[in-house]
Amino acid sequence: MYRLFLATRYLLSRPINLLGMGGVTLGVWALIVVVSIFSGFLRVVGEHVRSASADISVWFLPESARFAPLQKAILEIPNVAATAPRLVHFGLLNRPGEQPSPPPLLGRGALQGGDTPFVFVLGIDPERDRATTALDSWLLAVAPGNRVKDPSHPLARIDGRPAILLGEQRMRNSGLRIGDLLAVSTGRVERGADGGRSLVQVTAESVGGSGRDAPVFVVAGAYHTQHTGYDGNNALVHIDDLRAMLGLAPDAVQEIAVKVQDTASTEVTAERIERAVRRELGYESGSLQRAPLAYSWRERHRGFLEGVEWQRALMKIILIVIMITAAVLMYATLSMMVAEKTSDIGILCALGGSPRGVMTVFLACGLSITVCGIVVGTAAGCVSAIYLEEFRQFVLWLCGIDLFPVKVYNLDRVPHELDPLWILQVAAMAIAVGTVVSALPALRAARHDPLVSLRGN
Amino acid sequence: MNAPVLSAEAVTKSYWLGKREIPILKGVDLAVQRGEMVALLGASGAGKSTLLHVLGLLDAPTTGRVLYDGNQVHDLKVTERARLRHQHVGFVFQFYHLIPELTALQNVLLTRMMQCSVAQYWRQRKATRQEAESILGDVGLSSRLLHRPSELSGGERQRVAIARALLQNPRVVLADEPTGNLDSETADGVMDLLFRINRERQLAFLLVTHNEELAKRCHRVVRLRDGVVVN
Repeated sequence: MYRLFLATRYLLSRPINLLGMGGVTLGVWALIVVVSIFSGFLRVVGEHVRSASADISVWFLPESARFAPLQKAILEIPNVAATAPRLVHFGLLNRPGEQPSPPPLLGRGALQGGDTPFVFVLGIDPERDRATTALDSWLLAVAPGNRVKDPSHPLARIDGRPAILLGEQRMRNSGLRIGDLLAVSTGRVERGADGGRSLVQVTAESVGGSGRDAPVFVVAGAYHTQHTGYDGNNALVHIDDLRAMLGLAPDAVQEIAVKVQDTASTEVTAERIERAVRRELGYESGSLQRAPLAYSWRERHRGFLEGVEWQRALMKIILIVIMITAAVLMYATLSMMVAEKTSDIGILCALGGSPRGVMTVFLACGLSITVCGIVVGTAAGCVSAIYLEEFRQFVLWLCGIDLFPVKVYNLDRVPHELDPLWILQVAAMAIAVGTVVSALPALRAARHDPLVSLRGN
Repeated sequence: MNAPVLSAEAVTKSYWLGKREIPILKGVDLAVQRGEMVALLGASGAGKSTLLHVLGLLDAPTTGRVLYDGNQVHDLKVTERARLRHQHVGFVFQFYHLIPELTALQNVLLTRMMQCSVAQYWRQRKATRQEAESILGDVGLSSRLLHRPSELSGGERQRVAIARALLQNPRVVLADEPTGNLDSETADGVMDLLFRINRERQLAFLLVTHNEELAKRCHRVVRLRDGVVVN
């Protein structure tokens, strides 16, 4: 009884203990809030990337690859629902008769897309692609004025000219509207009589036009995935038009998008597809030819997603330093308390207290500080994470300062994701640290010779 | 005849200063009977306080035996010694040693809390409080129950310490210069109180003091010189 009673009295009579408690509260709060924001960011970014990707993409197909036999081989694999052929090329966009605008400074274009005239020209078959991606949703997710007239045939020729779809942000930034003409300057590789390769300009004739100018496309509308980088850097054209521009065979394919039935086994399916494609193409291990690869959407964007995860891990380490600082603070206040209470230790022993009992008094003080800090910090952390967006809006309204510029990351609000497991880990870590820093002064108190304090004042 | 409530047989105690042994007690024999008031006189450094600590089981003798009611107790385990100290002995110190965060009443109640669980204490809390208030009333502090030590005079603090020593109904009270820090008038008041308690409760006292006049009022005087009992 006396242990609990004295520990409570010591705690309540020494306001300096609030420092230790405040430190633990701050550490727990920061670990919960910051990691919850990063987790939320990771989730949202993952969703954005996912929205612009097929479940599985087959890459690095050789020039000789043809879609039909590969499609047959892939569709035989369990869990595969649909496939779509793609060609991936590049080009510079400009209005006919105008020079392409100079690219902006490096960096921003890479992040957001839409600021540089250079784009990837992605040849798709809309009929097949809508079975493997959310193409229909992309087309409907734009402002009504930018929406394609016939969503079931979004890349159908308009007045005999090939159609092109642009990311909505790029279309808005360029001041383009549906029906505007857009030249795509690019080249294609041709093999000479001697077997050598050279890059030659693609002309308007390749898509049924006339003259030596670049092929001219008609803007059919805009699309909008949630992945801004994808929208800004990719222009969609019909795969047949791109095949014609590049002089490829009617069934040529460079990339295959695959839709799976059960997303839980996407990785396993990707491995099977990779083996099937290599077998179909007669690829031999060790050959100089680049091996075709089948990546799940997560694997394809692994570098980016892992980058965010690494930032979160780094932030955890930085924030744990706050916890350690709080622990040092708590150790200092508890050590001071033990030093001040040596006289009490003497009398407690004289009244019948054991060294273990004395230790428990001071251990209870430290653990009470820790538990209070954890409870307050966890509650404050959860509330802060949940209402961070409201807090941001309030500060924005009050001071005009945006604490979290979410638009930079193409977010609508500050994301958060409270992970109960992480909260438990933080609490367990705080308890462990609190126990260690409480036990050291408590052990010193237990080892203190009561006679020393009883002999003198 | 009943065994003494407290006795020491050939008790020696030495401390080590580096490799040098410093003998403090050199074979002390002492017995305190129930209801007896014994004064322990001696110059500074004679070993009075050390003997008190050994008898109160706060310190172990180097050789010899300590007995409570005829039972050997000095070689018990730490927790057993703590329990026995709580039940058998009351301590009063020169510097009171009250806990500053607690009121006078709480300082006294703390003694009862020492060996109780929360549930046990909760069940008997009202009776314990009445008992503590009664003892504090006995020592003249009825109106100072809720005062902290810093709000009490030296004499009042020592009275609280005496009340604290009495709450567990010990067999013997060991008082280490209980008036050594008080002016003569207050000291007389405190000593009168101790003698009254001795009379009324038939409680044994072993009183360490320098004061010859005070010692003469006790039933028996034991003189300690250089670690040896000389009378």
